[in-house]
Amino acid sequence: MTDYISAYSKSGHLFIPRMFQGFPEIKEALISNKMQAAFMVAPMAIALRAQGVPIKIVYLGHRYGSAVVVRKDGPVKTFADLKGRVIAVPSRFSDERLIVFKTLAEHGMSAKDIRMVEMAPPDVAGALAAGAIDAFSMGEPYPSQAEMAGFGRVLFHARQYWPDYISCVLVVREDVIEKRPEAVQVLVDGIARSGLWLDNPDQPRRRARREHAADFVGRFYYRQDPRLLKWALTNPLDRVQYQPLTPLRKDFELIVNLMRQTDVLDRNIAFEEYVDPRFAEGAKTKTEWRYEPGDAIAQ
Amino acid sequence: MTPQRKIFLGVAAWVTVITAAHMATNVDWKVLLNDRLPESERKLNVAYIPVT
Repeated sequence: MTDYISAYSKSGHLFIPRMFQGFPEIKEALISNKMQAAFMVAPMAIALRAQGVPIKIVYLGHRYGSAVVVRKDGPVKTFADLKGRVIAVPSRFSDERLIVFKTLAEHGMSAKDIRMVEMAPPDVAGALAAGAIDAFSMGEPYPSQAEMAGFGRVLFHARQYWPDYISCVLVVREDVIEKRPEAVQVLVDGIARSGLWLDNPDQPRRRARREHAADFVGRFYYRQDPRLLKWALTNPLDRVQYQPLTPLRKDFELIVNLMRQTDVLDRNIAFEEYVDPRFAEGAKTKTEWRYEPGDAIAQ
Repeated sequence: MTPQRKIFLGVAAWVTVITAAHMATNVDWKVLLNDRLPESERKLNVAYIPVT
């Protein structure tokens, strides 16, 4: 989205977005310097850093936007009904897995009560429809896909059990941070401005902008039906939020604690070791893009 | 024109068309050209997956 709007700005494209189908491939591309930055799930970024991969989290991609989905006409009516059933998550290093553990604990249940399987995000809706899984915990637009198609029902949104839930973060290679901090700042500023643009406080304007974003992101970036993204971004309007995107210590310490409890992180890791907050600080004074659908230029 | 020459020209034309189509649709020229720029001028390659 930032790329699309910035293409209409005086500075032109700021970066080259490259679509991947899974996080393991992104990890390899970062290590080999094929990619200098990436959006990935927060626990994976922390785990990579703990393993010595030279990356730092510099900003968030969004807030909320993950949900646990079950079959609409299936036997699972409450969270407790998931006992003994199969639930798919995108990766063992994902917030979508951690929210399931967090919710299990709040219902007096444990990981032994369900069977968790890893599945590529594009496959989960089909697997749920076919009855191969009983539920999935996934980021948008896959919960929306199951809802729109009529076979899925959101059992709960992540924010119901995790009020400050975050999922995707922006990571940048450390050598790029050291050698080209101004380029990283331009990238973070663009994301901040896009977030403010999408979360405009005027509700009709926010809806119109989200519908426009769904159209161009669906067609030019995600290669998905724009109606699907429109559903995810507007049903309701706060289903996915783009503010605040500054990485906060308390949010990440909760993630690290949950990772430790669920055995995907073998040591404690300090916030400063995996987050570089200076770019988020630099973006705090930014204002939304001055761009409306059909404008010839963005400022 | 001999039959051999006709076949040769036909195969050559077919290979040329397929190669051109492949290079137009499967090669990301924007990325290739960017990777050849000096590091200080290069745009950042940013990876994402189609999830919010």
